[in-house]
Amino acid sequence: MERHQNRETRTPRNNVVVHRRRKSKSYRLSYRSGLGAADSRLGWSPALTARRLNTSRKAAGISNIAERVDPGQLALLVKTEWQLSYVTPLHQFRHTQLKSYARQLSAFIAAGKQQGLAVEVEGLQTTFRVSFSLVQGMTQSDEDAESVLVQIHSKRLFARQDEPQKPVWSGWLTCINGNPDYLRALPKDFVCLPLFGCSGADGLSALVKSWFQQSFDCCFGLLEISHTSLQWLMALWTNCHAESGIQHLKMIWTLPATPPLQVTYTVDPEDAWELWSSVRKGKGGGGGGEEEEEEAGENYIDIEEVTSFMQGLKSHFYRHFRLDLSAGSLNQVSTALGSAKYSGRMKVPSTRELCQMLSVFALLIFVNVLFFFFSDLQQPIHDHHPDAADRVRPPQNAHLIERIQTLMPPENTIAAFIWQKLLQLVLVFIRNEAKHYLSLIFNIK
Amino acid sequence: MDDSAKRLLQRLMRRIPTPTLRSALEKWGRLTTEQQKSMDFTQSKWALTERLLGICEENELAVKQLTDLEMIHVIDNPDQGMWYAFQLMDPEDDAKSVDLTQFKEQFKSHLRELVRNVSIKMKKHTDEAVWIRIAWGDTFSRPNHLKPTYIVHYLQTPYVFVTSITSKQKPLLSQALVLSTRYQAIKDANLSGRKLTAIRDLLMKKYQQVFPTKYPIPPPENNQTISNQHIEKEQAELAANRLQMACEAFGGGMLPQLQSAVYKLETKFRDHSNKTMTEREEPFRCVVKFTSTNLLESFRHCASSGIASTPVTPLLSCIPLKGRNYFLITDNGPGPSSQRGQPQV
Repeated sequence: MERHQNRETRTPRNNVVVHRRRKSKSYRLSYRSGLGAADSRLGWSPALTARRLNTSRKAAGISNIAERVDPGQLALLVKTEWQLSYVTPLHQFRHTQLKSYARQLSAFIAAGKQQGLAVEVEGLQTTFRVSFSLVQGMTQSDEDAESVLVQIHSKRLFARQDEPQKPVWSGWLTCINGNPDYLRALPKDFVCLPLFGCSGADGLSALVKSWFQQSFDCCFGLLEISHTSLQWLMALWTNCHAESGIQHLKMIWTLPATPPLQVTYTVDPEDAWELWSSVRKGKGGGGGGEEEEEEAGENYIDIEEVTSFMQGLKSHFYRHFRLDLSAGSLNQVSTALGSAKYSGRMKVPSTRELCQMLSVFALLIFVNVLFFFFSDLQQPIHDHHPDAADRVRPPQNAHLIERIQTLMPPENTIAAFIWQKLLQLVLVFIRNEAKHYLSLIFNIK
Repeated sequence: MDDSAKRLLQRLMRRIPTPTLRSALEKWGRLTTEQQKSMDFTQSKWALTERLLGICEENELAVKQLTDLEMIHVIDNPDQGMWYAFQLMDPEDDAKSVDLTQFKEQFKSHLRELVRNVSIKMKKHTDEAVWIRIAWGDTFSRPNHLKPTYIVHYLQTPYVFVTSITSKQKPLLSQALVLSTRYQAIKDANLSGRKLTAIRDLLMKKYQQVFPTKYPIPPPENNQTISNQHIEKEQAELAANRLQMACEAFGGGMLPQLQSAVYKLETKFRDHSNKTMTEREEPFRCVVKFTSTNLLESFRHCASSGIASTPVTPLLSCIPLKGRNYFLITDNGPGPSSQRGQPQV
């Protein structure tokens, strides 16, 4: 473990920096505050100096996935509200054995029902038919595993014989735009499909999850979409307004009064777009800076722009009502391009936005899982700088970074090798200790 | 019993929950004692409906008597459906002297002039409220008793509360009301809610108001353990001030249970840190909706706990002050500091 103390948290390949956060008493709090800066996957940090901790994200959509996937399957995915969970990698999951999995799962559900486990689906027959189908094409890179769609069909209790069975529960597992280093570091037997969405009766969801847990030795956990992620989504959607109108930007906040007060703040799309354009740092309007930054700038959105956007909306609200929205929590963000709730529910009305949303959520998971293990490393680093009191902005312990840098060889190969080893260790760690640690950090119920 | 009466009865039975059914039937008084005893209220609703249908056939009851039952139920349970408040404007000289009989006659005759086939039922309730039930028809069709409009008017006040009315029916009703109450116009009071009692209390100020006093009200007792004497001492006065201002704005004691308030904002965006938006000419349009199980209570708590800065902004304290919960806010007046414009109706 001593090696970990000296590890710097910098991936050599694309120079993503996982920023350090103060480890507060509650894991949950630290995770939440860290997520905002930590999920800067596609952005790069050209220099690890204190002033330019660039956390940015690619704004352009992932367009051609929609063309590659069968439209019938895509139609099943849009216009439904999905409850999202993350899944740890599946052990010995084979895409070729889907039919056998379907049989096993339906037997499992039947057994569960006999035992009296809660499958309180009203007015349905006991026979469920399960289907596993491959959703081909819903991937971004070659490393991503193919997505799988699970459906449970059943008939109503007094239905006629010839009436077809309707799907009463649907779920899917997907991996879009996974972190390539992570995926390559996975041992051979594991398939990474980290994002799970389900819609339907809770009893059936629980049964399906427990079957997966038993069969593939994985772990499920509810994916809470943090406040920062909701803000990112808001900004990303507003950014798309020029191409495809968002029709409105709606936010739902909850303020902790007795009784709780809910605030629905809907902004006209044109005005939201103008506010968003005004906070973008002179992109497209001629800004200074180095050439490489300008080129990349148009497609990249900084976290600072997102927070300024949010701050503008909050201050407009405060000016009128003298109510500080920061005292409450942001629960839901929705536009015509999709909606996302804090509890991990999302809904996408059309296929174009689907893949973008999914990749955002897949990213969330990678960061969630990796973040925890880095938080172990962060404590000694952070202890070195106890006066970094601000939880929102990353602590500026630049010279500490430089010190660590001198310890590590700059060549990619060795660092990459160590990175891979670390990830493997992480994976084994997850498998063995997953439930305990993940429940600590994610507060699994 | 004809089909329409049967359908009305079935609909009524669906609306009236079993616990309140017994008292409603007793008040109705159309069942003999044996018939009343024969109704077994532990049975399912469907069985009860069948039994009641049978009884009504025996007694040869028609739509007219069934609407009595519906009215009894609605009067006893007014907190269902969406109620909208209206206010009569510009009273004539004899508006104050309109009494119940005069109002009833005038209303019926005026409405019958305006609408061919209409069924009106009026009833006076104990607290000076006149309840009116209207089933609308037209030249070609009989009154539709499945979608009645209910109106509550408090005599001697200019307030009228209406539920379940369509936009086509509204002008007819307004006309009839205006003529029969001897006012000149009627306008939307911009107040709506699910509970009639709540919006009535709010509009007619039937709740405990708190007026500014020189001496602060001590904060209510709570059983928290005092963590730090110094903090408590320091904060006590501030807390007391906040509580006083909160109560002045929203009232003390029990507050009417309003569920929502909607503000349509069309004011300019002003923020020092954002020059582009501040220089913009057009207003920043947004709609803010506050919802809660008891909205005024939430606001009062926000103000007393510091989530809302005190003194409470006039936008929020306007709700109890003016008795409305729909506002359109625009920039008005010459000065740049005026945010609160004349709400347009």
